[in-house]
Amino acid sequence: MDILHNLAFGFSHALTWQNLLFCAIGCVVGTLVGLLPGLGPLATISILLPLTYSIPTGGALIMLAGIYYGAQYGDSVSAITMKIPHASSIVACIDGYKMTLKGQTGLALFTAGISSFIGGTVAIIVLSFFAPMLGEVAFLFGPADYCALMLVGFVCVSFVTTGNLLDGLAMCLIGVLLGQVGTDVNSGQERYTLGFPFLAEGIGLVSIALGCFGIAEITKNLDNKDERTPFNGKIHLMPTWQEFKRIIPSALRGSVVGSFLGILPGGGPTIAQFAAYAIDKKVSKYKDEIGTGVIEGVAGQAAADEAAARTSFIPLMSIGIPENAVMALMMAAFIIKGIQPGPNMIAGHPDLFWGLVASMWVGNVFLVVLNVPLVRYWLSVFKIPYAVLFPSILFFCCIGTFSVNNNLDDIFITALFGFIGYIFLRLDLDPAPLLLGFILGPMLEENFRRALLISRGSFNIFVTRPISATLLAIIAAFVAWQIAAFVVQSRRNGAARSRVPAEPAV
Amino acid sequence: MNNRHLLRGLFLVVISLAFGIGALQYRIGHFDRAGPGLFPLMVSCLLLLIGIATIVRSRYLERVPLEFNYRNIAIILASLCGFAIVSLYLKMIAGIVFMVFCASFAGGHFNFWRNIKIAAGLIGIALVFQKLLGFNLPLY
Repeated sequence: MDILHNLAFGFSHALTWQNLLFCAIGCVVGTLVGLLPGLGPLATISILLPLTYSIPTGGALIMLAGIYYGAQYGDSVSAITMKIPHASSIVACIDGYKMTLKGQTGLALFTAGISSFIGGTVAIIVLSFFAPMLGEVAFLFGPADYCALMLVGFVCVSFVTTGNLLDGLAMCLIGVLLGQVGTDVNSGQERYTLGFPFLAEGIGLVSIALGCFGIAEITKNLDNKDERTPFNGKIHLMPTWQEFKRIIPSALRGSVVGSFLGILPGGGPTIAQFAAYAIDKKVSKYKDEIGTGVIEGVAGQAAADEAAARTSFIPLMSIGIPENAVMALMMAAFIIKGIQPGPNMIAGHPDLFWGLVASMWVGNVFLVVLNVPLVRYWLSVFKIPYAVLFPSILFFCCIGTFSVNNNLDDIFITALFGFIGYIFLRLDLDPAPLLLGFILGPMLEENFRRALLISRGSFNIFVTRPISATLLAIIAAFVAWQIAAFVVQSRRNGAARSRVPAEPAV
Repeated sequence: MNNRHLLRGLFLVVISLAFGIGALQYRIGHFDRAGPGLFPLMVSCLLLLIGIATIVRSRYLERVPLEFNYRNIAIILASLCGFAIVSLYLKMIAGIVFMVFCASFAGGHFNFWRNIKIAAGLIGIALVFQKLLGFNLPLY
């Protein structure tokens, strides 16, 4: 009954007029920006983060969370109607877009909306049960365990976002190194500041995020020069009862899978979608039709998407370690607002925690109301030509960077990171792990130094403590598997290549 | 030489060396009493290993040419820096107008009246930020 009491307490905070308004604004703006081509949740949050500076803490966090799952949802709408996904909703393109081709856009959008609602609801139940429990576990963690957990996060995120462990880890490490810029907290020594006084406090997170995600994305879209045709088809929303019945089991499966995968390090919406889709393909009653544009192909992944988007808050709020790049950005937002996420957050700021949890459900309702009946109006966003859009995005980048410290110099740093982000883009390196590394870097260093201080310089502490030993063993197994897979793959490629010249050249 | 996989490895090596050599300038200390240079040095060494591994791996992968389009990124960065400089010496409204006009060169279709409309719209948004959301923007 404790949970019900807590949730009631949360709703009493989430349902004030002010917080309702912030939640609504977050959902609307998040969906709007998430719909735009080239702007996924990461870019959306980093562009809109500065807007929340002048808002009271509770409202700001509610609004940011709304922006996040709003953007996640908006993303799937553009994937279903026009097959322009960002990294976060690739799966929605498969069956969702096929349904559009069959003329069932309305049904696909309705399915996605309702499934997201189911997914979000299940996730909130999981969140209110597990976050306090995991918070208790977090008290068992020592510095060595925190180090190991962060390393697991690096490895998982590297693998999930880039599909290539080496590239992802490299980006994490670059992020950690960038996080070293500034004053060392232990000795007071200034590191890598090159004598610039404004670097003594470190590089601004907003500059890195906007440079790598905002500016680089704009330039990528300008380079591509592809003109999209806006969606003009008819939308018939209401499904028949038969169709509606098909949504439920698939959505429930997706919610459970998504809620679970959202909690794991490196987890989150993307991997949850793939897993839910794969499971539906195995066990669904209509498994043979999945892939050709059926309800089950949309419902499961949409539910998993929204469920994972919410449960990925669990590690952040109960252990204090963000598990993916979006959550790292969220953590920065928490810290800017003066809240340190971690085991003490639930006890120390129950109004914020339970208010946020309750607001997620309120946001769920907003999303369904906003998106299912009104979706056709949203789609008119795509009629805005890119030539109008990109100066506006640039403008938001400028205002956002400026308003962090009311300092115009920061814009030059953003520009510098825009250039670096463009190099990353051309080298095919994904900047998402960099952001995680940048935010976790200082924490990793602090815990690493503390662990070695406790053990008097011996690395044994990492393998004698059960939690860190287990986590490090997982990493070792994973790395070994990756190396083995690469060797097998290159052998096979080599064999294939040596066979090719044997064929007669005509 | 123009191989994206190889250049990626070289890029990582350069970054790791830059930070690693920088770390040597600071006190390294011992493991039980780490100095400020120890942790960045360790991370740089790891990055160096990954960079070398990437270079080695590039021999086994198919070559992908690196495309680098200087024009658009240069225009975007110029409009950002221009915005900051114009705002610094004049006022932010002038900066916004400059940014819109400068950035529109990257779009390919320069259209004077459209730019005026975009700039006017953005100035309107900036005014809303300043008046309603309490942003401290030196607009005029």
